[in-house]
Amino acid sequence: MTVSNPVRGTTDVGSAASGGGAAGSHPVRRRHRRRLTGSSFTPWLFLAPAVLIFVVFKYVPMVEGIRLSLYQVRPFLGDLWVGLDNYVRILGDERFRDAIGHTLVLAFGQTIGSMVIGFVLALLLEGHAKSLWFVRSAVFLPVVAATAVIGEIWRLLFFPAPEGFINSVLSIVGLGPWTFLDSPDTSLASVMFVGIWKGAPYDMVLILAGLAGIDRQQYEASALDGATTPQRIRHVTLPALRPVITILLTLASIRGLRVFTEVYVLTGGGPAGSTDVWMTRVFTVAFERNEIGVASAGSVMLFLITFALTVVVQLYRRRREAG
Amino acid sequence: MPRSRSATAAVALAAVGAVLAGCGSSATPASSGSAPGVAQDPNAPFEVWTRSTEATAKVYTKIFADFEAKTGVKVDYKPIFADFDKQIQQRAASKDLPDLVVTDTGSLGVFTSQGLVGEIDKGSIAGGGDVVERAWNNGKASDGKYYAIPFSTQAMVTLVRKDWREKLGKPVPKTWDDLLDLATAFTKDDPDGNGQADTYGMLVPGTTDRGYLGWWAASYIWQGGGDILKQDGDKFTVAVDSPETVKAVDFLKKSFCADPKLIQPGALTTGTNDAHAFFETGKTGIYETGPYMFGRFDKNLGKDKYEVIAAPKGPAGDTVLGEGENIYLMAGSPRADAQKKLAEYLISAEAQTAGMKGDPTPVVRLPVNSKVDVNAVYNDPRWATTAKVYSDSARPFPSVPNFQPFRQQFSETLNSIFSSCGPDSKGDLGKLAENLKKELQTQGMAK
Repeated sequence: MTVSNPVRGTTDVGSAASGGGAAGSHPVRRRHRRRLTGSSFTPWLFLAPAVLIFVVFKYVPMVEGIRLSLYQVRPFLGDLWVGLDNYVRILGDERFRDAIGHTLVLAFGQTIGSMVIGFVLALLLEGHAKSLWFVRSAVFLPVVAATAVIGEIWRLLFFPAPEGFINSVLSIVGLGPWTFLDSPDTSLASVMFVGIWKGAPYDMVLILAGLAGIDRQQYEASALDGATTPQRIRHVTLPALRPVITILLTLASIRGLRVFTEVYVLTGGGPAGSTDVWMTRVFTVAFERNEIGVASAGSVMLFLITFALTVVVQLYRRRREAG
Repeated sequence: MPRSRSATAAVALAAVGAVLAGCGSSATPASSGSAPGVAQDPNAPFEVWTRSTEATAKVYTKIFADFEAKTGVKVDYKPIFADFDKQIQQRAASKDLPDLVVTDTGSLGVFTSQGLVGEIDKGSIAGGGDVVERAWNNGKASDGKYYAIPFSTQAMVTLVRKDWREKLGKPVPKTWDDLLDLATAFTKDDPDGNGQADTYGMLVPGTTDRGYLGWWAASYIWQGGGDILKQDGDKFTVAVDSPETVKAVDFLKKSFCADPKLIQPGALTTGTNDAHAFFETGKTGIYETGPYMFGRFDKNLGKDKYEVIAAPKGPAGDTVLGEGENIYLMAGSPRADAQKKLAEYLISAEAQTAGMKGDPTPVVRLPVNSKVDVNAVYNDPRWATTAKVYSDSARPFPSVPNFQPFRQQFSETLNSIFSSCGPDSKGDLGKLAENLKKELQTQGMAK
């Protein structure tokens, strides 16, 4: 939602103030909005601080970003208008195209991986026992830990020599040493592993909430009909979790496209650009190559894609709910 | 009901007012420093940045305190520990730069091409005559004009674990062959005697962040007779695909791709801050770096455990990178008089000496002021070695308007060659040469 809202602000100023498309299209509300007096005024006053902060820290920078993407940015010499040239340049940049590929692979892998492991964890840890509560909290820790800290710790764990932590554990069972972040062949998979490790518990919590909403009688009924455990998961649990899964997919794919901190801390995009993702590339172009205009073009493109993705999912959901 | 409603309305109004007031007060200072070449304001804060670690920040703090005592000009000092260039770019984007910064000579190209610094009238700088001409060149841009004032110079030296070398009975490396031989011995012959193969020959900060790998590799490329760009009159040609460069890159590739690797694990994603630890904790034995590391390694490793030598000779000599740090007077400052005063103080013999005596890490490595005697101040043969390397064998990066994009792409290509270990360095460097040619044309320096 946070992604779709700002856009309405830029494309349709009128409905931005009403707080969303669904409310704006409602005939009764619209009539109500015209007389902005008395009782309808106070809510607006309460909203004003938030709206103001949104305008200053979100909408204005976004419009500015779109503007910059059309210029060669030179703060102290005056910006030069280059039109869509920045977009042509960033799309023509081989490393940027590679980065888009890595981003998609990473987003896909992390989304699916987190969800599968989150689902397994949720099935294992569902229940009311005190011990389960403790284990659930422990499992959830990666989600609340700061990403930068996680990155540094995993860099240490992944140390690619035989004396590295994970490699020394692997050597006990006769495996390794593996290269992890050190080789272009394994670096992206290693980053993905950390992403799944961090993302799975989050998915687990949402799925747990979904599991709690399933009527127990359905399980009992299917058990009476002779369904095995896999059959129960396949025909009772999964269909009941469909709304949760839709939300998780939307959130995870958007989060996957915007991934930055993990990658930046773990590898900085290396080695040989093998873990460069969309945002790390934009960051490099902006602050190492000092081409703010080209970097803005990259960000605007990411924004448009995220926006389109959100709209598609919203439309799909609305159609399902209506039908 | 009506009473409570008006009360809630009042609360909401107050909240809006608070937010508005907050925005208003934060917006004012930003607008005052925005226009370039602006009105002077003696009451504006005089903001000074240095690219520092915690240790060097202490030295600067003392120098600035002395300056304040002498002139009454108050310095609002902010040491920046990480991502210096990125933070400068962020401040530039908001048109509110610090007034004066001390950072690498390598930033000159970016700063001039973006208009972040203005031209400096060399003659008007009091004490500028005491600054050696070679140091002044660090502030000279490709158009022959000066845009920065030199503060410190240095040359890359090679640090070797002396105790390891002596234990294995190896000589001080004089040539590339010696170097490779020593690195191999450090990797294979267990120099720390703990019975495990957990030591490595060479330490490389090989990340592409800031183009570090290119920074490190440049000296070796020159020693092999190769180059990134070659000066041809007042223009340049790309030399990154020359046979000598390819050979030098292949020499370096040998250490990255040997079995076992002679370079520390994870080198190609390691930045300098992470790299130092490998040397001081006894993981690697050879480190090509700047003399600013002596203080830290003396403390954490021990002065008697390592030696400082000039770079071992390659096929074309022992050229190393010699750069330094400059004082940049940033554009749009409302305190032009203070900028000049502080710069003049920083190049004075007094401040230069104080900078060299910084403990544990000097902020002035080799002085730019001809009146300061390196040997008298340091009284340390390692610094004498550094001074000799600087005067005999050091050279800077070429003075194109902005070398940064060249270094960045160079290090990205090297990173890719060293990680894939493929056979075709020549092809990869050829592709890089095409891109560098385009960049030369963009900067108007192509022959």
